[in-house]
Amino acid sequence: MTNDSLLWQVRAFVYSHFADTTHPPSVEETAKHFNIGLEEAGALYRELHNRHAFFLEPETLTIRMANPFSGVPTDFTVHANGRIYYANCAWDMLGIPAALRTDAVIEAVCTESNETVQLEINNGQITDYDLLIHFPLPFARWYDDLVFT
Amino acid sequence: MLLFQSEEWIDKWCKRKDLERGEVLTIHQVWDLSQLWYQDRLSMDYHGRNIEQVAEVFKQAGLTSAFWYLREGLD
Repeated sequence: MTNDSLLWQVRAFVYSHFADTTHPPSVEETAKHFNIGLEEAGALYRELHNRHAFFLEPETLTIRMANPFSGVPTDFTVHANGRIYYANCAWDMLGIPAALRTDAVIEAVCTESNETVQLEINNGQITDYDLLIHFPLPFARWYDDLVFT
Repeated sequence: MLLFQSEEWIDKWCKRKDLERGEVLTIHQVWDLSQLWYQDRLSMDYHGRNIEQVAEVFKQAGLTSAFWYLREGLD
């Protein structure tokens, strides 16, 4: 894949689609949007996956995550701009309002107690809540197993 | 990255999983990090980060321990 201009346009389209609809575009939707063939769109998806721009489900062209957005339901729900997004992890639940630059109400589950907690982002400030986020792996190993990370 | 209500819950989880404790940040620290890390994610001009750019984000967020050392870039 050598058409970097189109490559980054596809990346931007995927993120814009996530922001507007809460879910990723299928490869068919992306091909139609750019008026290109499915094979070319698939190659662009694989190249963006290889560059860590987003991540595909194994052996598919389905986008699993475009950080901070998740393509599948998770324990981290973000209510923002009248929509409900899923975040990949406890960091990404804060990454969604940061990326959207908007207020949000976040519902998340404590990993060990299984209790649901709620917090809010208002005018760029987080509600005062004594929550902690555990990063199990050092940065150098984050991409060894993304789902675990 | 995992959410916990207290240090005690983190200890219980590590013990149950038989895993060593990683790095623990407050929700406020991670909010600061999130704004640095994700503020330009929807921009057409965002093409990922190289090692130096990632290191700069961590530095700005006050994350300077060995835990945040980099092997290779990109996100």
